[in-house]
Amino acid sequence: MTLLELKNVSVSYGRIEAIHDMSFSVEEGEIVSLIGANGAGKSTTMKTISGLLNPSRGSLTFDGQEITKMKAHIRVVKGISQAPEGRGIFPGMTVMENLDMGAFGRKDRSGMSADFERVFTLFPRLAERKTQIGGTMSGGEQQMLAIGRALMSAPRLLLLDEPSMGLAPQFIKQIFTIITEINQQGTTILLVEQNANQALARAHRAFVLETGTITHSGTGKELLANPAIKEAYLGVG
Amino acid sequence: MLDLLLVHPVSANDWISFDIPSLIQNFWSATFDGLTFGAIYGLIAVGYTLVYGVLNLINFAHSEVFIVGAYAVVLVLSALGFGPSVPTLPLSSIILDLVLALIIAMLASAATAFVLERVAYRPLRKRNAPRLVFLITAIGASFAIQYTIFLVRGANAEPAVTMFQAQPVFDVFGTIINSQQIIIVIAAVILMILTDQFIRRTRVGRGIRAVAQDPDTATLMGVNKERIIIITFIVGGILAGAAALFYVMLVPSGVQYNGGFVLGVKAFAAAVLGGIGNVRGALLGGLLLGIIGNYGQILLGDSQWTDVVAFVILVLVLLVKPTGILGTSLGRSRA
Ligand SMILES: Nc1ncnc2c1ncn2[C@@H]1O[C@H](COP(=O)(O)OP(=O)(O)OP(=O)(O)O)[C@@H](O)[C@H]1O
Ligand SMILES: [Mg+2]
Repeated sequence: MTLLELKNVSVSYGRIEAIHDMSFSVEEGEIVSLIGANGAGKSTTMKTISGLLNPSRGSLTFDGQEITKMKAHIRVVKGISQAPEGRGIFPGMTVMENLDMGAFGRKDRSGMSADFERVFTLFPRLAERKTQIGGTMSGGEQQMLAIGRALMSAPRLLLLDEPSMGLAPQFIKQIFTIITEINQQGTTILLVEQNANQALARAHRAFVLETGTITHSGTGKELLANPAIKEAYLGVG
Repeated sequence: MLDLLLVHPVSANDWISFDIPSLIQNFWSATFDGLTFGAIYGLIAVGYTLVYGVLNLINFAHSEVFIVGAYAVVLVLSALGFGPSVPTLPLSSIILDLVLALIIAMLASAATAFVLERVAYRPLRKRNAPRLVFLITAIGASFAIQYTIFLVRGANAEPAVTMFQAQPVFDVFGTIINSQQIIIVIAAVILMILTDQFIRRTRVGRGIRAVAQDPDTATLMGVNKERIIIITFIVGGILAGAAALFYVMLVPSGVQYNGGFVLGVKAFAAAVLGGIGNVRGALLGGLLLGIIGNYGQILLGDSQWTDVVAFVILVLVLLVKPTGILGTSLGRSRA
């Protein structure tokens, strides 16, 4: 079943168009990766899906419902959750308060405590640091917190914008393992990455974005094997 | 710093001198009077601080949000038969009337803040207007409200409304503390504690803190930013309405169309002194500014110095600690 569909979406910042006529879809249960160079429009795409940006043309559908004009804070309740680029931890709030913020739109107490359990099982470090102030966490810990917080809204679609940014190599592997685990627990994931190797290896399907346009698409394996992509994104020439 | 001024006497009668004996003699009365006025500054300061916290906007028109409340107090009490002389009503009906005036003042100020945000600021946000445009709009809105009041009520101060005779309650180091001072300080502190707890403990309060720390991420958490913004304006308005009642209690004939300006500037200074964006800082800054201003007035022997001294202290504190005494931390869960 198609969970998310973008049809002919264009997004502009003032007069500059960052996304041109983009169309793609995400099926329920998939991990879909979006890779591309700096400034290709990956974050712009994510913000358009979460509702922080409005497209100038085209339409978005989520779970069969048109959401093009829906406000961002309502999309969260509908099941779209974004862990933003740069993590976006509330620096003055504790780990617990940050996680609570993730569940801001929820009222089902029992479901929430189950999700706290889920997050603390995925990230035992967060359980140890419940009362630490978010701004004092290390970069990797903040990334765990950002993903955990995004899970607290019990999303059907999880948007991850460069979760491996700034992490040490062994940590990157761990984060991707956790992402796969989250997906196996039933959450659909749209993943933006610079680390194309991991992102393609983990993805069911993937797209390559170049200056606001999708130039390649296929299964993760297909793109990993594509010589042009190898050269441009995988650091093999 | 102030000594520098002493070595340059302008004439035989020094134009500036320090009356230290007078300060010592009047120390406690200056302290208690200062605390009382400071509590009022603090209540108004919360409005500046909250709006600055969520919008990074200095809402210059907040002084008019306050003065509208003061007009409401005067008009309601006049209609209830209060006037320049001490009312002869029984205590219970005075209390009832004052509570009514308080509620109406809170509503009037909150409504003013609400309309201000919807008419003046929200359209600018929709257009992504630059910071400077917000600031100029705020100043313009301040004048617009002042002159609207001027048109309706004229240039003169409203006739005095005396609420009740201040009664001596107890004696501290030979200084009488009166019932008005006690009521104002206690009520202000209670209101500030309620506001502080509202922001720290409630769901909406968490939303306010989240928007203050990172508006986009707050939106991604499901926070309705527009709703949070309007709530902060309303909360600031409610406290300004309370401040208006206490102000009229102390200064029964002090309500004039442009009367919000000076109090607004001092309340803003109080917010900066305590750490703008910080509710506890607003109260602390207000109380300090009230007290220090009074000391300065007595020390320098002329009421005109109150404001100068207060602002010199403000500048000195900011030189040492640019974020104010408690820091700019609407977001912080612990100070
Ligand atoms: N707020 C903005 N105003 C104007 N232009 C913007 C804005 N945000 C992004 N852009 C431009 O839009 C284009 C796409 O940016 P985007 O952030 O989507 O890139 P990205 O693929 O996420 O890059 P990175 O890998 O560096 O995060 C870039 O050219 C960028 O300069
Ligand atoms: Mg990006």
